[in-house]
Amino acid sequence: MPSWPSETKYISHDVLRIDAPEKVSGRARYASDIQANGWLYGMILRSKWPAATITKINLEPALKIPGIKAAITVQDGERTIRFYGEELAAVAGATKQACLDALRAIQVEARPKPSFVVNEDIAKAQDAPRVWEDSPNTTTPQVHEHGDVDKAFGECAAVSEGFYTTPVQLHNAMETHGSTVSWTDDGVTAWASTQGIASVRDGLAGALRLDHSRVRAITEYMGGGFGAKFGAGVEGVLAARLSQAAKAPVRLMLTRFDEALAVGNRPSSFQRIKIGAKADGTLHAFQMDNYGTPGIGAGAATAGGGGAEIPAPYIYRVPNVRVKQVGVAVNAGSARAFRAPGRPPASFGIESALDDLATKMGMDPLELRLKNDPSEIRRREYKLGAEKFGWKQKYKKPGGSPGIVKTGVGCGGSEWGGGGSRYTQAEAQINPDGSVELRLGVQDIGTGTRTVIAVVAAEMLGLKPEQITVKVGDTQYPPGPGSGGSTTCASVSPTVYDVCNNALAELQKRTGVADARGDNWFAACKKLGVTPLVVQGKWQDGLSSSGTGGVQFAEVEVDTETGLVTVKKITAVHDCGLIVDKLTAESQINGGIIMGMGYALYEERVMDNLSGVVLNPNFETYKLPNIADVPDIDVILLNMPERGVIGIGEPATIPAAAAIGNAVANALGVRVGSLPITPAKVLAALGKVPKPVASAT
Amino acid sequence: MKAFEYATARSLDSAPQLATDNGHYFAGGNDLLGRMKDYITDAKILVNIKSLPGLDQIESGRDHWTLGALVTIAQIENHPGIKKVFPGLHEAAAEVGSQQIRNVATLGGNLAQHSRCWYYRHRDIVCLKKGGDTCYARHGDNRYHSLFTGNTCISPVVSNLGTALAALDATAIVRRSGKEARLSMSELYHRAWENPLAHNSLDPGDLILKVEIPTARGRSAYLQVSDKHAFDWALVSCAVAAQVSGGRLRRPRVALGCISPVPYQVEAANDFLDGKTLDEATVSKAADLVLANAQPLEFNGYKVPLAHALIRRALLKLKG
Amino acid sequence: MKKPEPEVFGAHSRRTFLKSLGTVAVTAAASRAQSVAAELEKVNGEQTVGPGPVPVTLNVNGKPLKLQLEPRVTLLDALRNYSSLTGAKEGCDRAACGACTVLLDNLPIYACQKLAIEAQGHEITTVEGLAKNGRLTKVQEAFVAKDATMCGYCTPGFVMSLTALLQKNPQPSADEVRHACAGNLCRCGTQPRVLEAALQAAGVAAARTTHTEVMDYA
Repeated sequence: MPSWPSETKYISHDVLRIDAPEKVSGRARYASDIQANGWLYGMILRSKWPAATITKINLEPALKIPGIKAAITVQDGERTIRFYGEELAAVAGATKQACLDALRAIQVEARPKPSFVVNEDIAKAQDAPRVWEDSPNTTTPQVHEHGDVDKAFGECAAVSEGFYTTPVQLHNAMETHGSTVSWTDDGVTAWASTQGIASVRDGLAGALRLDHSRVRAITEYMGGGFGAKFGAGVEGVLAARLSQAAKAPVRLMLTRFDEALAVGNRPSSFQRIKIGAKADGTLHAFQMDNYGTPGIGAGAATAGGGGAEIPAPYIYRVPNVRVKQVGVAVNAGSARAFRAPGRPPASFGIESALDDLATKMGMDPLELRLKNDPSEIRRREYKLGAEKFGWKQKYKKPGGSPGIVKTGVGCGGSEWGGGGSRYTQAEAQINPDGSVELRLGVQDIGTGTRTVIAVVAAEMLGLKPEQITVKVGDTQYPPGPGSGGSTTCASVSPTVYDVCNNALAELQKRTGVADARGDNWFAACKKLGVTPLVVQGKWQDGLSSSGTGGVQFAEVEVDTETGLVTVKKITAVHDCGLIVDKLTAESQINGGIIMGMGYALYEERVMDNLSGVVLNPNFETYKLPNIADVPDIDVILLNMPERGVIGIGEPATIPAAAAIGNAVANALGVRVGSLPITPAKVLAALGKVPKPVASAT
Repeated sequence: MKAFEYATARSLDSAPQLATDNGHYFAGGNDLLGRMKDYITDAKILVNIKSLPGLDQIESGRDHWTLGALVTIAQIENHPGIKKVFPGLHEAAAEVGSQQIRNVATLGGNLAQHSRCWYYRHRDIVCLKKGGDTCYARHGDNRYHSLFTGNTCISPVVSNLGTALAALDATAIVRRSGKEARLSMSELYHRAWENPLAHNSLDPGDLILKVEIPTARGRSAYLQVSDKHAFDWALVSCAVAAQVSGGRLRRPRVALGCISPVPYQVEAANDFLDGKTLDEATVSKAADLVLANAQPLEFNGYKVPLAHALIRRALLKLKG
Repeated sequence: MKKPEPEVFGAHSRRTFLKSLGTVAVTAAASRAQSVAAELEKVNGEQTVGPGPVPVTLNVNGKPLKLQLEPRVTLLDALRNYSSLTGAKEGCDRAACGACTVLLDNLPIYACQKLAIEAQGHEITTVEGLAKNGRLTKVQEAFVAKDATMCGYCTPGFVMSLTALLQKNPQPSADEVRHACAGNLCRCGTQPRVLEAALQAAGVAAARTTHTEVMDYA
């Protein structure tokens, strides 16, 4: 069985991100920066109706706009539109301005449907307008039950009931979706902003009916994905078709406006939770009714479930459980995977319920968790974190903080799978001059994958990370996984381990140098003569694990007169097995916390019932946390090298909103059960908001 | 954004002429270009007014200061004299947008900006303010909307500077039909109170030249609360100004932003405060008077307690 | 299959791009570019131009960039679509995210909400113009050292905001750093490390914003 070295020079240390100089200097070329020879600008026309039958699309006027080289429809013939922003047509032209004019010139004939529904509660009603004509908006309830819940609640010393809701969250990576696609007689090349180059290649090949071998996807740099950037996407296929029609490469990046409509989101949740414990605090019964919307991708018409289900009671084991969940279709864009799918809402629901139960029992919520959390690692993390955070000193009974600006503390835990992809492969080329190039068909989406590869290779070969040239982001390299599920690090690390070991073995065979590492490296490589050494490697078992957890503590200040919540501090304790690069691991945790903070306090896609549009398809009213909102963050990485490598991107974002929500409740003495926790909701929870006096006129 | 012509105006006389045919004055451009990109506003010609002489000066004086309309928000924020003499204006300027915006946005543009109502700003909604027949916000999500209005449209004015300048009783000097008109802040926005189509009282061709701020109120303050801690529109803002002598307020003024189509002022509250010393009971009573006629809707009722808190706090800041 | 590579250089094609540079030598001094623009202004006076393409000369990183642009073309689009300077990123195109931040006469602005035509006669600095002879600036070095980049798409904007801040205020407080880059959004969550990088670049004792440690489980 392979194993990681116990003494390391780079692994588990702070190693600077190897591509940071490219990024800080503007030299890094992102998908949206690609300027292929003779490139054209591409844009998409979208439906302005939330529900309609499109009867005719006339592209002729667009083609008459000077500079326009191609215009295509997404689909020929009559078609049904089910959400605002669904793609109708696309144009390619010499300039953005020509494309803007062309989009306005396209004539769309449609029969708008008078009724549609964008609100979950309205969509659930019996007489609601149907998103899918022939079937109800709600899925068949998914029920999970064990034990005897009704009886068990009778046996509880305390029972708490609450309603906890989370909004539809948008990924809103800083770089939008899109690519430059060139379709020539030689095949298709796509420079895509993607988390999965292979998924782009396969998606384009499928949609365009081409052999996989004739499609190449390249992602040198990309500006974030968070789960929403897999596959070719409608926009990728349109770019390819435009390129074919215009006989030129087409750069088609979505606008920020587009980004809110049709390229994914995190489903909402509306969790009615009842939870009960025995007198000693042991959880005994749990019941949840949950519904949420993943957009049009739900309802009875979409067999196989709605995609809005969340794990419940998530990380806790309760002997008597009844969970019922329903996905609700609405006329809005479909959900996609979003950093730890299902978990942030699940965490917010259960952790809120737990704190409310603790309040009812007069118990310290941390004690309640230590009593009930089945994970020994996480219980350890709670203890470490509590000490670091100063929980004992800071915790007061809910509402016990004096004054107008109240402080509060809260906590919550997370659990994630992760693990590596056993199909990951790598190629190493050792040149006679001693230079090393590693090639993997993965992509670095900002998590530090390039750096992780360099760290592991440097460790194995006895070189410095900066001596390793890392080539990723091209489907011509050996296959690697998509960057999702926090699996990339655990996929590439064992693979690089293997390819480096193979390289050392082969180098010994070819040169006779017994140990080519470190000081012997250049002399050994020189003995290669004129032919570089190229070796393959693949993922090896035993160097990585799955299953990771973490806990987070939050301290907040809440102004009870203005409702403003200020997060003062987050303490996070996470385990990720063997830490590969401490520096980038910590950055991942910071990032997870800050994204969770956005979920807790600011972010929410807002739909308008009357018009069916997304009201905040921008950064002005879809609010992301900025540097002035971000608190002090303490991170403790719990090192467990014996477990091998485990990813950390997703577990770090899961409990932040729950911890912040609990801290707000602790400060106020009342629960704001609905994310995001805005000043409006805080003031409402405090009973300070007057009833509406003016009716709509 | 549709194509347009572009010209640089060199004189106050030529600017309106150049803009005659669906032209728009163009200075910082933040508001205008945003609207044009979303096809809320279209223009045949943009008339660059940044070269107009004499409008980019901050002039101090004993009785009043004069700020040219082309003075940037950053210049106002960073001016040490303004910070000292009109702290409320300084505080309001510091909360406008972001550094990048403040570096280009002008005083005139901040005063003349259009509603930020998310229905008005939505490219595919034709609301009342855009000449349609429905105020979508009244029926829809009005969390950011007005507590007071004189018409059916409930989109509020969001100019930080307009609010601060209202409390300071400033006067906008506007070039109108070749002459200079003097408008108080109330007058500058009054039309928006009455007319759903209006964002302010300016006619096409009117050009804000400068703003005169009397120095009579030696103390001033501005507070806002947003969902976020920076670079976010105010949910409610409050500006106050007064002369304070012997601990008593003289000629106090309270103005609220983001809760009405105009910087919202209530004379009864100002009158009540005149001659008073600042204590919790007094400022609370003043806040009650300002908010007496609030008409909360389904989602904006929180603005009532929020405004109440801001009025009290801003007034107490005048204690120094 | 043929290996198509993106052009290092050039907008709609290398040829049209080079053509658009016209006869103005790319090495001409900054002052020359400004005088060209000033000349242009004088000649045009109050003349109305557009809506079709008009000559626009931008002084970017000390070099003139001579283009034919419709008046509606923004500075950001001029840089990204008509030159190879793609360091300024498009994140929102609505002056809301800061990815496009460039310096205009040393002041940070959003290039997406500035018309190229009105940026004439000003010194424009993009992220590509900071490092001299390949040597990173203090701010850039601090971003590398503090791991203030993740996906890196917002990074050029932050770097520009902080470069301007340190020019104006060489020893900022943590709150001044926050005030200066509140107009830059980051979705990956680099903010704590951006703050640390800024303070490191300024040589200010780092206000503690993040603290990390490793503990062994075993």
